[in-house]
Amino acid sequence: MESNKFGLFATSTALIHDAPAVGGAVQGVPSIEKITFHLLRLEDGLVLDEKVFCNDFVNLTHNMGVFLYDDLLAIVSLRYQIIHILQIRDSGNLVHVRAIGEFCREDDELFLNSNAQGMALSDKNKQQQLLGNNIDNNIQQAQPNPGNSFLSGIKQRLLSFMFRGLWNEETEDTLRVDRLRKKFYFHFQDYVDLIIWKVQFLDRHHLLIKFGSVDGGVSRNADHHTSFIAVYNMDTTEIVSFYQNSADELYLLFEQFCDHFYATSRNSMHMNFISSHSNNIHALEQLRSIKDKASSSSQFMKKMLSSLPFSCQSLSPSPYFDQSLFRFDDKLISATDRHRQSTDHPIKFILRRPPYSLRFKVKPGPEAGSMDGRAKKISSFLFHPVLPLALSVQQTLFLQSPVVNMSVVNIHFRR
Amino acid sequence: MDSGLGNWPSYDPHNFSQLRTSDPSRSSKMAPATYHPTHNRVVPPADQVINTEAKHILLREIYRRAEEKIDLIAATSPLQLTPKRAASDNLTPEHGSKQPRVST
Repeated sequence: MESNKFGLFATSTALIHDAPAVGGAVQGVPSIEKITFHLLRLEDGLVLDEKVFCNDFVNLTHNMGVFLYDDLLAIVSLRYQIIHILQIRDSGNLVHVRAIGEFCREDDELFLNSNAQGMALSDKNKQQQLLGNNIDNNIQQAQPNPGNSFLSGIKQRLLSFMFRGLWNEETEDTLRVDRLRKKFYFHFQDYVDLIIWKVQFLDRHHLLIKFGSVDGGVSRNADHHTSFIAVYNMDTTEIVSFYQNSADELYLLFEQFCDHFYATSRNSMHMNFISSHSNNIHALEQLRSIKDKASSSSQFMKKMLSSLPFSCQSLSPSPYFDQSLFRFDDKLISATDRHRQSTDHPIKFILRRPPYSLRFKVKPGPEAGSMDGRAKKISSFLFHPVLPLALSVQQTLFLQSPVVNMSVVNIHFRR
Repeated sequence: MDSGLGNWPSYDPHNFSQLRTSDPSRSSKMAPATYHPTHNRVVPPADQVINTEAKHILLREIYRRAEEKIDLIAATSPLQLTPKRAASDNLTPEHGSKQPRVST
């Protein structure tokens, strides 16, 4: 993958809200008729392979539902609660490696199906009736059996991990039962109703999975919802650890080992200029000042941890964002690819080294400044990873009628 | 010395005797294959191979904390639901120390 031979693109049809929850789909998650992932050879644009998902929902906004690590691709089907792991082979094929969700091990489905054949005849007829009513899709995903009353594989792993953890915290049986009742069974239905929100790779064998309620899964700002982070080993199919999104322990790991949450290939030079509080003193000072100013430590930790799991390729690898080279206003511009408030003033980049002077400015929006100073403007930036070239897109949202969005795209380059 | 570093002075004439000049066919990212001690105060085991740990530090830390919780319970309670887990394959004490491994 270092050779930059392939490009991965996704296309989708329109969103259908209020889609009926059929075929094992989660109620409340919208549906998209067709999502296609295309693997292109960048040399000539030839489509080498594609993977289609029908009547499914993968969050393609800012690549949130997809994570690329080396040659492994994780696609989260929010609707069917399955994490599809695909591999991009050198030959140019997208190969399905595993599907985590309903089943964890490759042979789970076979095992359950072979045992189901031993069921009574009446039950079998009932099952066949239900299967017949299933929607006919061209599928690459494991369709869960609607007549099956088992919880999904990943959910079972999660619940049993929580149970065992709580059981082992006490030594006496009466205390154990009490603890389980208060911490586990009281919230049991909430835990059962948890859905996978987002996934990232930690390495080739481990996933960091964020679980939350159905409401938060599709809303844009889910920060106020409670969520949980689990570390899952794909090979052993075990949950290694499980934290609430405000857990001290998880925050400590994030503070100390931030860089390792950005899973990039070991050989990649991609991380060379990316500043984080784990590799850059200025970024660390910034974090410390936010921490000191925070009124509530748990709120602060929750805010920091809300960025987990990270989206892949969400940080620009451009050296212009290296905090040991340049100083810039974090609120106006930074390596993360999110929209931010835009002002009419140009954004200054100041040298961190002597002579500590202004090096250059980046001004989004029209040269002469915008016509209406009061209109809300947001900007986003795209910096070339290697060349001294950047794009800025400034959108003006006119709130009075007619409601019109005006976009100004600037190309910034070094002379 | 025949090492391509020219006739640079060195304490021990054997120090750079095995160094090969950079070969254009080899990637410059490859580290030298062997290290030789420059003193003989402590002699490393003859078959020692130092490798990069496959699991990175974050995962090692996550696993360590998980093991710690289980070991704590195992140490303090006689009875428990889960049997004591077998020791993990990786028996390194703490991160930071290199472990000698037999080269395959």
